[in-house]
Amino acid sequence: MKKVKLAELAFARSGDKGDVSNIGLMAKSKNIYDYLAKVITPEKVKEYFGGMVKGGVEIYPVPHLDSLEIILRQALGGGATCTLRFDQTGKSMGPVLLGMEIQASEELLEEAKAVDLDIEKQYACS
Amino acid sequence: MKKVLIGSGSAFWGDIFDPALEMAQSGEVQYMGFDHLAELTMAILNRMKEKNPEAGYIPDIIPWMKRLLPVTTKNHIKMITNAGGANPLQAALEVKKVIQELKLGPMKIGVVSGDDILPYIDNIRAQGWKFKNLDTGEEDIDSIRDRIAAANAYTGADLIVKELKNGADMIIAGRVSDNALYVGPLMHEFGWKFDDPAYTDLIAAAVTVGHIIECSACVSGGMSNMWKVSERPWDIGFPIAEFYENGEAVITKPKGSGGIVNSWTVKEHLLYEIVDPANYLMPDGIGDFTALQLVEEGRNRVRVINMKGKKRPDTLKVCIGFKDGFIGEGLVYFPAPDALEKAKWAAKWVKERFKKSGVNFRELRVDFMGVNMLHGEAATIEDKDYNEVGLRIAGRTNTYKEAEVVRREATHLWTMGPVGASFGVPMNVRPVIALWPSLVPRDAVKVESQLMEVE
Repeated sequence: MKKVKLAELAFARSGDKGDVSNIGLMAKSKNIYDYLAKVITPEKVKEYFGGMVKGGVEIYPVPHLDSLEIILRQALGGGATCTLRFDQTGKSMGPVLLGMEIQASEELLEEAKAVDLDIEKQYACS
Repeated sequence: MKKVLIGSGSAFWGDIFDPALEMAQSGEVQYMGFDHLAELTMAILNRMKEKNPEAGYIPDIIPWMKRLLPVTTKNHIKMITNAGGANPLQAALEVKKVIQELKLGPMKIGVVSGDDILPYIDNIRAQGWKFKNLDTGEEDIDSIRDRIAAANAYTGADLIVKELKNGADMIIAGRVSDNALYVGPLMHEFGWKFDDPAYTDLIAAAVTVGHIIECSACVSGGMSNMWKVSERPWDIGFPIAEFYENGEAVITKPKGSGGIVNSWTVKEHLLYEIVDPANYLMPDGIGDFTALQLVEEGRNRVRVINMKGKKRPDTLKVCIGFKDGFIGEGLVYFPAPDALEKAKWAAKWVKERFKKSGVNFRELRVDFMGVNMLHGEAATIEDKDYNEVGLRIAGRTNTYKEAEVVRREATHLWTMGPVGASFGVPMNVRPVIALWPSLVPRDAVKVESQLMEVE
């Protein structure tokens, strides 16, 4: 096992629904999804964001997409139109979550790297 | 198998124009949806209409239509837009003039309105309905009633379908949901009915596909983890759905356009700005994103299969905007040496000044740009001499005058702060329109439509 940033294992994108910040966390493979679904818990996410998230955290599994939908309540300073946050709509929350450190096995890290290389190879622009 | 080709031409007021024009020119679609409305937009448009009864629609629609209509008419593309905003009828009258000027008639414009419930919100309450705040749980709108700036229901595709059936060549609507701009044409083309359970999954599939493409570039390389491999992103193509009568769809973009559509970009958008992925609630149906699967079909083509869902809810979402104070903001940047220390010193200085001027803040926020502004408590603060650090200070107050103090004191840091304080252009104080998300019974919303014939 090795300590890595979540960014090595998954992609993320976030947005807003009122005062809810939502993060789509997309695992880079099926095996990685199975692992993340176990270790990424609401408690862990809440602790990571600290005072940024004033309400509860819920995680919805989306196994067919190897993804987790992470819901952070009362996380955007009241919502885009009245928040004092610079990032009014919480676009940065997903990438910020990818900075979280977790333990991962060499096998999963290799799988993730293979996906990154495949994307680069398939879609490389001239 | 019958298929319908529908593309996205806009996702918000201010979206870029050329991808819409290029999609129309490509002739690869039969319908194009144009969303221009966000929560705050309706409050702004309402205010424009209060000042001038002939305003209140998205003004950009006029120059856009001047350039789009000659192309869409030639290529037989029907445009469905919610640019009518707070005044769909006036928007249609203006577009009518464009059609006449350019001699593109005869044409029929379907005008859909009636989403504004503010004129009769008290009647709905008098019948016993309470507009409970879905975010805070507050029971009804008594505490904000005299400060309401807009109250619009997110209406569905019913009247879009009706006017397309009546032969409309384009639709101009008010606050129909972004989603309905796409569900409408699909229901019309395939002849689905809301009350027949045989169509429930198909309508849910249309709701799902609408969600995937309604945000224009956001599924074709914009805002994406795929940013490094997006092809000629400055030539980005907006998304197109090929929707098949069996309820499957292929997400793609115009041939030769830039950007990228792959299973990652589609996933990114499926999961974007939703709450429960098994219950994506829209006025026309409920999408279940946990059942569907994605299959890449070659470059820039992703097939979405096994889309399912539930029938439409009996209530509609209503967004009530109300006046709720002011925000004042200031920004100063400090260079090395000791950039972060300088910024901290300045934060203390400005806070002391606020104390002295006796401002009552509802909330005050201090960020160090380049250090913790986006990361907050998740930031790892390094012990190093940063090249530069910004101090951002933002305060929310009840009065304009107090918010102005925030802006003013920040500008005083230019001459009274640590050496090297650099500033840009000061930001103006802005009024806050807070949102009160709620529900309204579908039957209580008096939607209406008409067909405007243009010679």
